[in-house]
Order: sequence, then C-alpha cells, then structure tokens
Amino acid sequence: MAGVLFEDIFDVKDIDPDGKKFDRVSRLFCESESFKMDLILDVNTQIYPIDLGDKFRMVLAKTLREDGTPDDGEFNPTDTGPSRADSFEYVMYGKVYRIEGDDTGPDSTRLAAYVSYGGLLMRLQGDANNLHGFEVDSYVYLLVKKLAF
Amino acid sequence: MVKEQFRESDVAKKISHVTFGLLTAHDMQQLSHLHVVSKNLYSQDGSHKPVQYGPLDHKMGTSEKDNTCETCGKGLAECTGHYGYIDLELPCFHIGYFRATIQVLQMICKDCSRILLTPDQRKTFLDNVITPLTYLQRKVLKKKIYDKCRKISVCPSCRAYNGMVKKCGLLKIIHDRYKSTRKGNEAMIAEFMGSFTDALEHNKDLEPLLSKTQEALNPIIVQKLFKRIDEEDIPLLLMNCDVGHPSDLILTRILVPPICIRPSVVSDLKSGTNEDDITMKMTEILFLNDVIQKHKATGAKMSMIMEDWDFLQLQVALLYNSETSGIPIHMQPKKSTRGFVQRLKGKQGRFRGNLSGKRVDFSGRTVISPDPNMRIDQVAVPVHVAKVLTYPEKVNKANIKLMRKLVINGCDTHPGANFIQQRDNNIKRFLRYGNREKIARELKLGDVVERHMIDGDIVLFNRQPSLHKLSIEAFFAKVMPHRTFRFNECCCNPFNADFDGDEMNLHLPQTEEAKAEAIILMGSKSNIITPRNGEPLIAAIQDFITGGYLITQKDVFLDRARACQLISAMLSQRDTAMKIDLPPPAIFKPVKLWTGKQIFSVLLRPNKKDPVMVNLRTRGKNYSSNEDLCVNDSFVVVRNSELLCGAMDKGTLGSGSKNNIFYIILRDFGEQKAADTLSRLARLCPAYLSHRGFSIGIGDVTPGDGLIKAKNLLLEDGYTKCEGYIRDLEEGRLQTQPGCSEEETLEAMILRELSVIRDHAGKACLRELHKSNSPLNMAICGSKGSFINISQMIACVGQQAISGKRTPNGFEDRALPHFEKFSKDPAARGFVENSFYSGLTPTEFFFHTMAGREGLVDTAVKTAETGYMQRRLVKSLEDLCSHYDLTVRSSTNDIVQFTYGGDSLDPASMEGKDRPIDFQRVFDHVKANIRIDCHDEPSLSGPELDKMVYEKLETKTYNQLSQEFKGDLKEFIDSISQKITKTRERFGVHGKIRQHIPPVLFELDRVTETQVEKFLGVCRDKFMRSQIEPGTAVGAVCAQSIGEPGTQMTLKTFHFAGVASMNITQGVPRIKEIINASKVISTPIITAQLMNSSDAEYARVVKGRIEKTTLGEVSEYIEEVFLPDDCFILVKLDQDRIKLLKLEVNVDSIKESICKSKLRVKPQDIQVHSEAVLTVHPRETSKSSLYYVLQTLKKELGGVMIKGVQNVSRAVIHVDEKKGNSYKLLVEGDNLLAVMATPGIKGTHAFSNNTFAMEKTLGIEAARTTIINEVVYTMSSHGMSIDIRHVMLLADLMTFKGEVLGITRFGLAKMKESVLMLASFEKTADHLFEAAYHGQRDTINGVSECIIMGIPMGIGTGLFKLLHKYPFLVRLNI
Repeated sequence: MAGVLFEDIFDVKDIDPDGKKFDRVSRLFCESESFKMDLILDVNTQIYPIDLGDKFRMVLAKTLREDGTPDDGEFNPTDTGPSRADSFEYVMYGKVYRIEGDDTGPDSTRLAAYVSYGGLLMRLQGDANNLHGFEVDSYVYLLVKKLAF
Repeated sequence: MVKEQFRESDVAKKISHVTFGLLTAHDMQQLSHLHVVSKNLYSQDGSHKPVQYGPLDHKMGTSEKDNTCETCGKGLAECTGHYGYIDLELPCFHIGYFRATIQVLQMICKDCSRILLTPDQRKTFLDNVITPLTYLQRKVLKKKIYDKCRKISVCPSCRAYNGMVKKCGLLKIIHDRYKSTRKGNEAMIAEFMGSFTDALEHNKDLEPLLSKTQEALNPIIVQKLFKRIDEEDIPLLLMNCDVGHPSDLILTRILVPPICIRPSVVSDLKSGTNEDDITMKMTEILFLNDVIQKHKATGAKMSMIMEDWDFLQLQVALLYNSETSGIPIHMQPKKSTRGFVQRLKGKQGRFRGNLSGKRVDFSGRTVISPDPNMRIDQVAVPVHVAKVLTYPEKVNKANIKLMRKLVINGCDTHPGANFIQQRDNNIKRFLRYGNREKIARELKLGDVVERHMIDGDIVLFNRQPSLHKLSIEAFFAKVMPHRTFRFNECCCNPFNADFDGDEMNLHLPQTEEAKAEAIILMGSKSNIITPRNGEPLIAAIQDFITGGYLITQKDVFLDRARACQLISAMLSQRDTAMKIDLPPPAIFKPVKLWTGKQIFSVLLRPNKKDPVMVNLRTRGKNYSSNEDLCVNDSFVVVRNSELLCGAMDKGTLGSGSKNNIFYIILRDFGEQKAADTLSRLARLCPAYLSHRGFSIGIGDVTPGDGLIKAKNLLLEDGYTKCEGYIRDLEEGRLQTQPGCSEEETLEAMILRELSVIRDHAGKACLRELHKSNSPLNMAICGSKGSFINISQMIACVGQQAISGKRTPNGFEDRALPHFEKFSKDPAARGFVENSFYSGLTPTEFFFHTMAGREGLVDTAVKTAETGYMQRRLVKSLEDLCSHYDLTVRSSTNDIVQFTYGGDSLDPASMEGKDRPIDFQRVFDHVKANIRIDCHDEPSLSGPELDKMVYEKLETKTYNQLSQEFKGDLKEFIDSISQKITKTRERFGVHGKIRQHIPPVLFELDRVTETQVEKFLGVCRDKFMRSQIEPGTAVGAVCAQSIGEPGTQMTLKTFHFAGVASMNITQGVPRIKEIINASKVISTPIITAQLMNSSDAEYARVVKGRIEKTTLGEVSEYIEEVFLPDDCFILVKLDQDRIKLLKLEVNVDSIKESICKSKLRVKPQDIQVHSEAVLTVHPRETSKSSLYYVLQTLKKELGGVMIKGVQNVSRAVIHVDEKKGNSYKLLVEGDNLLAVMATPGIKGTHAFSNNTFAMEKTLGIEAARTTIINEVVYTMSSHGMSIDIRHVMLLADLMTFKGEVLGITRFGLAKMKESVLMLASFEKTADHLFEAAYHGQRDTINGVSECIIMGIPMGIGTGLFKLLHKYPFLVRLNI
C-alpha cells in the first residue's frame, strides 16, 4: 500500500488513568501486537466510543488516495471520490511535530513521534526502524477500525 | 504647493537665559509709568472712576472689557499692563531677603562695612570667587565664607569690635555689640557705659538694664551700612554686581503691579467692586505712608512714628508673603490674604499651575466604553466631538475636491469644516454663516480649511493619573454615532482604565509633524510593550482570555458550518476581504469536525500567504507533568502558527508575560501583525462565547455535599490544631520561635494555620466543583479572580487580618463582647468560617468590615503617598537622556552613566530576563520556520555546528556585537552541540555509514547549515535593534517605571525575612526610605556570612560576640557589702550561664568593660577575687557622697554592656534551608563596621540594608549597589519586575555626586543647577529669592525650564540640532 507509514493492531490497555478530564475526549493507552509499539491517543469518544480492552487496527498514511499520490494539504469539500477512509470507521488528520529520543531508559534506543490532530495528541513510541518515513512537519492521516472478536 | 515645514514660532528672538536679580529703586522707576500716591481707589463723587495716581489708575492697564489702557491705548486682551511705584516714607526690610540681610550683616563690619576677613583669607576667597563657578559651588562657597566671617569679631581693617547679629522678633535685627563676656571690646564697652553716667544719676532704674544693651539695626542703619560696602567685597558675598547691590536688599520703593494681574471684579450682589488682595495691600501701604508723612510733618512723638514704621514693615512683608509667622497678636491681619509668594507657590500657583501645566485647545473629554470591534489602534469618537475638534488642512491639488465638499457641508454636517483661512489675506471666516457654496467655489490652493475630525485622523488619548508614558497614546480616530469614546478592551491596561464611568481625554494634534511624531512614537501599536520590563501591556484581557481558553479546550469540536461562521466572525473592517485557508478537518470520519485549536490556528495565520509563522513552547498555568502529554492539556505548543497542543490561558494570551503569543508575533513579525492578530482575537472570542454561553448564577456558588464535607473537615482539623497550640501555651509546652515570646509564637502559628485553611478550601473547590463552573473556569484560565475568591464565595471567607495580625482587642481583653475574655479561639479573633453564600454571622460580619475598612483607608493613603513619590522621581530624573556618545547625561551635561545600564540596551527590547534574546526560543523558531526549505540538507553534528558558528562570529558581519553577547551566544551553541553529540552517541549514529542509518534518526535535534546561518543573522538583528536610541528620555522612563508600580503596591506590609521574628519594612514605605536616602531606617538589618557557615555551634559563638549582653544577665547576684573599714559592690558571675550562652567573657574582660562604661570607675577600684567574683569600690566625689555612689553603682552595674556591638539590638541565626544546613547571621542594628570586624564574620560578605551605613563604611559604590539590590528586592517581593537598568540609573543618579543624595527637595537642590526647575518643584519662593540674591543666571536647557519658557526641549527628537547651515548652491537649470 502506497503512502502508508505505519500499520498495526493495538490493544487498549488503559483509558484516562488520571481521571476523565474532558467530556468528549478520552486518552487511550495502547500497545501494539506485532511491533511492540506504545501508543497514546486522544480520541473523540462522543462520536467514536472505545472501551477498555477493545482491539483496533490503526493505519498512519500520508494520503487518503488509494493510489498513494500525495495530497496538497488543502481541504477540498467537493472531493467525494473513493478514498482509503471508506474502509475505516474513524479518521483523523494531523501533523507530526516532534520526534524525540526516549529519555526514560538509560540507553534505550526507542524513539517517540508526536502527532497532533488539531489538538488531539498521539504519541507513538517504539523502535526507530518502525518509525521510518516520519518527518517533522509532515501531515498524516490516522485511520482506525475496531476489530471484532 | 509644497507644504511649509513647521518652524518654531518667533524665531527672531530666542530666550538664551534668564537672570535673577534685585531691582534698585531707580530700576523700579524706569520700569514704571506712574508714581502711585493716592490711597483712594475710586473717586468719591460716585462716578466710580479710578482715582488718578491711585492703585487702580488706568495708566497701569485695564481689567474691564469696556475700558482701554491709558498708556498704550489697547484693550483688555492686548495690553500687557504697566507698572507703577510707591515711594516708602521709611525704608523697610524685604521679607524674602530678610535672612540674606542678616547674613550679609554678619559678614560685614558694622562700623566700616568691610567684609570680616583677614587680608589673606580675603585674597584666597577672591581667587576662588572669580573662577567660573556653578550655582551649586557658589552656594557652598558662600556657606564657607559666611562661616569664616562669623568667627572674626574684630574687624581686620578698622579694628572695631563686632558682636553677634541676630533676628529679634518679627523683622527686627539687633547687634549684640556691648556684651561683656566676649573679649576684645573692653575699651569700647567702658566708653559706652561712660556715656550713661549722666543718665544713671537721674534714673536709677536704668542700671540693671544697662548690661543688656544691644544695638538695634533698623532698615535705615542697615541700608547705610550696605551702601558703604566696598565694590570689591561684593563678590565675596557671592552677589553679582551687575544685577544687584546689597543695598537693594532693603526696600525704599515698591512696584505696583499692572492692573490686569490684580483685576477688580464688579460684584453682582452688592454695589461696588471686589478688589484683589494686592490692590488692598497697596492702599494700606499708601495709607501708612500718609500717616508717617503727617506725623513727620507735625513732629509727632518718636514712638508713634516707630509704631507706624513697624506697621508699614509688616504690611510690606505681607504684600510679599502673607504667610509670615511670628506676627504679634495686636498686629495680626484680620483675614488672610494672598501675597506674591502665595501666588507663585503650590499646586495651583503660577509655577505648577500655569507655567508648567498649560491649558490646551482641540481637546475633548467624555465617558469611555468598550468596543471589541475597534482595532487596537482605533478609538471611536462621537460625531459631536468630531465636529468641534478641527484640523487645519492646507488645500492642495489632491484634496481640493474633498475640501470643497467639506466647506459646503459647513459646521453642522459631519464631514464638514468650521473655519477657512484664505492664503492671501489671512482672514479667518466662520462657515456657519455666509454663502458656503460660493466660498467653496473660490477655494484656492494654499488656503487652510479647519475641517472636522475624520476617520483616520491621529488623536492622542489619555487617562489620568498619567503615571507613565503609556497613559497617553496615539490612536486613529473613527467617527461614530453616540456619545462615548470607545476603544478595544485590550488597550485598557496601559491606561489602567475600566468602564465603570471612567472618563478620558482626547487631543487632536494640529500639524502634520506632530501627527507623524505622535503615531510613530506614541502610537498604541508601537507601545504594546512597557519599557518597565519589556513585557506586553496591551494583550487579551478578561473575556478574551476566557474565550481563548474555552475555544482551545481539547474537547471543542465544530462542524463545518460552525467553524466557518466563527472564522468569518473574526474578520472586520479592512480584513473583510481577506482570503482564508480553511484547514482540513481534524476528524474526517465518522463526521467532519474541526477542533477549536484549528480555529485558533486560523486566527494566527489566516492564509498560506501570511508570513506569520510563530513558534512557542511553554507551560500553561495548570501544567502538571509530561510536557506535551500533560493531562490538563496545559502545555502550549505552537509550531509555525499551528496550535498543536495546550489550552491558551493568561500566560499565553494575557499581559505581563513574555510567553504571550502576541508578544512573540510582535518581536518576530512586527507590531502590525501582532495588532492584527489581537484584533482578530478580540472579535473571535466574543463570537464564540456568545454562542457557547458563559454566565454565572446562584448554582455556580452553591457548594455540593462533597465540598461541604471537605470544608468541615478542614475547619475541624484547623480548629483542633489551634486548640492544641493554645493548650500548649497554657501548659507552657509551646516551643518558642527564635526571637519571639510565647504569645507571639502562638499568634504566628495560629495565623499560619488559619490562613492555610482558606487556601486549602480553595484547592478543595478546584477539586470538587464541576468543570463547567464559570467562576472556576475564569480562575483556572486566569482571566479574573483567584481560587481564594472562589473559596470565599463558596466555602469559607477565612481569617480577617488587620495590619497583618488577627483582630485586635476593641474591648477589654477581647475583640468583641460576644466572646470570653482572653479568648484565643479562631472565631473570637476574626476567623470567618462561613462563605458569602452561606452568609456571615453578626460577629463575623463585623470583623469583615474591619478588614474591609483597613483596605479602603490603605488605598486612600497610598494614592497620595505614591503620587508624591512619583512627582519627586520624575522631577529629579526628567532631564536625563542618552546621548550619541552612549553616555547618560543631565541637561547640564553632567555624566550620570558612561553607558546606559552598562550595556546600552533598551529595557523595552529585552526578550529574555534582562537579556536581549532568549536564544533557545529564537533557535527553535528559526529551525521550525525554514525546515521545509532545507529539507535536503544534511543535519549537522555537534562539532560541525560548533566550528561553523565560531568561524561565522569572527567575520565582519558580526563585528558590531558586543563581546559579552558573543560569549552568551557561544555558550548557548555549545550546549546545543553537546546535546546533539549526546543523542547521536546514544543512537549509534556515529561511525556508521550514512545509508545504513534509518533517516528518522537524523530528525533528532536536526540542525542544518542554512538554519544556523539564519539563526545567527536573526540574533544579530535583534541585538542591533535592542540598542538604546540616542535621545531616549531614559530618566523619565526610569522614574515612571519605578513610580508606577508603586501605586499598585499595598502600603503597609511587613515581610518575614526567613525568621518569623525579624520583620523588615516592605512596600511603599521601604521604597520611600530608599529613595529618600534616610539616614535612619525603620528596620536596619545586617546580613553577615560566617567564616564557617556549616556549624551551628560556631554561629552561636559569633552571635554571642555580636549580641549585646549586660553584666546583669550573666551574674548570679550583685550586692552591696558593708564592712567596718570598707564598703563595696560584690558581683558574682554565673559561670554556667556564660558557658551556655557561649559568651567569650571572663572576669578580666568584664573588669575592662566596667571601666570603659559611663560609670567612671577606675581600674584600681575594681578587684578581681576569683574567676567568678569581683568587687567594685565606690569613690567619694565632690558632688556625691560615698553612699550614693555605692547605690548608683549597684543600680547601674547590672546594665553594663560586657559583650556585643553598640547599636545592635539583637542577632538571629538564619538557616538557609535551600542549601542544606548553611547558617548566616541576621543582625538588627546599624553598626556595620563593628559587625564586619567581629571575629568569625566573613567581613567581605557582610552587608547592611541601610544605604547610609554602607556608604559610611564601604563607600559610594557600595551604597549604589545597596540601592539597586534593595529596590529590586522590595519590588520583586511584591511580584513586580522592573528592568535592572532603571534601578541602576536611579542608583547612579543618587550617587553620582559622590555622596548619597535622596530624591527629596534637599537632595534635588544639590543635584540640579536650574533655579526655575527647583522653583517649580518645592519651596518656590525660597529658591527664587536665593537666586535673586546671587544674581543667578539660568540657561534654559532642562525639561522643566523649557516647558516654563515654552521652548522645545533638548531631549528625544529635540536632541539633535543643525550645528552648521551649509550654504547650498542653487543649481540653475539652463
């Protein structure tokens, strides 16, 4: 699949561990199945409720176009053509704004990429090799679909 | 038609200087047109005409409209008036020069009128006098000569004896010539006494009086003496021969001022007129003149004439100064009048009321109201005002069409004109009448149309009190209907305005030059930043902050309609056609939703062409942890104008913070962009709030069950603790705090406990209240109110403090009769446990009103105090300005600082704390800005970066940067390169081939060459821009920056300096002390480091050395012993106690101390018997018997100081908790020298907070440092930050003369040369009289003088002048 930066299946391990601070937004703490990535993700739970223990497939892509042609960052409300989003339930658009080394471990080589979807934050943490193609100031789409058990 | 350049008016004549001097009788006659002789004002025949040669003769001018002046024939408006004069029958002393008269008399021989100096002294002083001296030096020299003269009693030239000359009663001088106690005059006394032999024979009563004879020096004698003073002696009196002779100090003739300054007022109520005080005084003087003349002619008794003379003296004195004190009761005037001195002095007097503050035309005043639709550089002016305030616009080709239209519209239609002045005949024509169409048709180029104020005109807008330069700012006018001035709320801060009925003033500048200067220098956009500390003053306030906070919450989602509606709401006026790039929605599916943060990002950068790319990374008000992932969403990250996370709050939107987003736009992209963004916010926030809804109701202040429970728990807990303390005290178990009694300790502990309750209740509110609670939201985002306010409304009002303590006793041993006597319960001492919601009990309410009253009184007192302080500061600092050679000089060119603030940087452009640049922020900003452009460049490694920067800094481009700045820059780059190296090591980037490394690793700490280059360029630009401009009125800015925050400080606050017991004065009183350079301050404290700062035992020993210990404190007993052959006092020392207190004393040292004390005991009278016993033997003296000496000894011995430093009341060991167990001593007292010299004290690290003590012991530089430190400390402990450069300038001004001068009238008189300046400050008349005596010449160059004389001053844009007019050759086009 062209234009996909990252794809994995995540387990919701925790929701709002410090208490629910916002009415419509919850912070999910997830862990990935295949790459052992840690994910922190703010989700609008009013329109897309997620419960503890849910499993979902998450894709980070540079574009919504199936053929992977990059988009220009302009919002075009008339664009109703086929898109990758059609097969997902929850799609967000945001900006990678920070890539940092993980300061927690003494000499861990894990990286953390921070993405802000209009203020809804995501932190994807894991081995550098899984974060290929992440670049500061690039825009990404986040596509989520819950998996049935 | 080229516009003529503005020229200073009346350029033909320029005032170069003003000379003060004395008028001779002849001068007065020359000045006058009339000899006034008649005591009657009006002719008696009822025609109500002024008597000829009377005080109201029309030859001296006129005060009525229908009369013209008989001298010049002009009317009331044109005639400037003419003087008259009165010849006094007998000479009189001039009350203003009375002191000078006595001093001159003391300096000359009362026989031969030569100055009382030996030839040698006279020669040296003459040499001194003829050198050019400043006014200050002359005053000092006069004092010196005066002191010398007073010491000489026998005249060196005629050998005559001269006694003391002194004032005796009102306006009488006596010469104590015949006093027999002094030597040198025996012969003369004998001769004098001899002359009385005849008289004594006839009148025995004379004898006892004879020894008290003194010579009276009446004005006639004095005048004769003064007339004889030698021409060459006059300079020695420090008088100026050209403008005054000593004999002119005595009045023989007085001037009658023109009628126009003492007009008669025709009374409506009763027939006749009300005459001015001066006129009345003149008639009285003329009347007395007549009486004396008659008495002289008729040969009346001498005593009668003397009495009349006294009376004449008094009237003349009252004419000049009606507040003369010491008038005998029978002579006292019945009603108080206004003399000349009274006309000059005081706030309403000539100097401060008319000369320094003048009334202006083209100004308006009305109530103000807010209007968020105004841009921040706009003010809405009512049409009514716009029609009155006009601007004289010259007609030219471009505007003639418009002008024609305006003329046709006339006075009553808004865009119209009131007057027109034709170019050729200069006649002003009123446009209300006449044929406007015709006038418009005849309008020619070069005519001047006084048109109404129109949109876009530049106006000055001001609110009193004008405490700083931001209190008057230039705005663009926008003419609007209705009756108030309206402006954007964001501009409230500089004016300190609110809309509860405040009024403001508006001025319309009248020339193009004034307009241009006003908008560039005073424009509200150009003054977003306060020069006090470089923080923004114009920023979002109140609802704008609330709105900004709410819209940037994490859970604000908007559909497309709503998002677009909000975005379009923020466009107005010239923005309406602006292109907007709607960002793609943050959530695409299941529905397209935009977040509030995205809207905010649009506000920052509406379209992709907009150059504004701000970057900000900062903590918000409620930051918890984990940076970006803060659970409260309170870590603000803005990257290239996109708000990525965090909610905006007071810190990022409001004033008083350099993390303010508008401040950053301002610094990086200019004032216009910042102003535009702020204007957009001012429109977006109300739009969002009015849709979302934000209001307060009773529900918001109703506590829930949880809160009530939490509060009760807190109260219970606090009460039990307090009860515990009280019980401890009763049972004597209470551990006292150092330097406190048990009672004080208890009070301190209870007070702390109770004030904690309120704070905790506030925290409980935050925890328990629902998120939607409006007051809570406002407190959280910082727009209004604090948690304490919420807690008071909902939970608990808390302890009421009166002057920092619990409520004092208003009744016998209790605060109110509702409580038990001596009750120390919280409730009995002003603790209010109810909330405003639950309601206060009667006693609580009473306590609350007490605290409330204190607050009101405090503010009332404070305004007066700080107002005066501000005035003094401004007067002393007003003429300091920075020059082209970077020095700061006063108007007389005295250098106060060699470079302003030590680095000649402008406080207004400090981006970091007292530094011109916050490197980290600029670095991140540059990196983010040009990331895309250098996408393909390799990122630099640590060493590469270092090398590049170091090389670059050596190139020519960076020559102008100061070494200090370069050092800072290199230090910063080093830290960055180290970080890069560290990261690279950890991820193993080193050593591997580039292709094998995942590219994502290069994203870490990525810096490229272009970025570094740009960064250095930006740093350089910012540094160069932050240099202070020559001509800046740094003095005035300094005075305002220190005075203005003073008004916000609470007056009486005591502050704990680490130790509970050691209060030091804070707030306005402390600032006052420092500025006044008081010698005695209320809480002098010496902070002394110890040689060994880690040892508590050591500290105690040193404390023992410093603290005062008396003999009584360490002796077991002091008793008298009587033996058959001897009696003495036996002192038994308490050895244990001495050891316990770690005192270094023994019997011998005590013996010595006793000898040194004031008891006058000789060493041989003290016998040491053992280590603990010594005896003191009394010695009989001529004045007292043995027994009494013994008794006194017994009484006084206990108080003998055996150890310690003089003037030290106590010393406290201070534990610095931050640095572990580090001890230092705080000594209450003034003897710095002795404390420094005490063994165990690090002398180099001991300092006092008393400026005077520091100057005395360590010199002027130490005093300067103390002033700086103390002002900064006092201000910062009140949460006010002031740029250090301002404080430095103040300290330098106070010390640049080599001694510490206070900002008081005494200090000012020693700092400033100009008489006019000093006269316009305080003691107006005294300064003027003194200047006249000295014949002082005042060159007009200071600010005050220029204002008084109406000359543009030499600071700011007036600093530079064309020194040489270059003869341009006119090139002819042939």
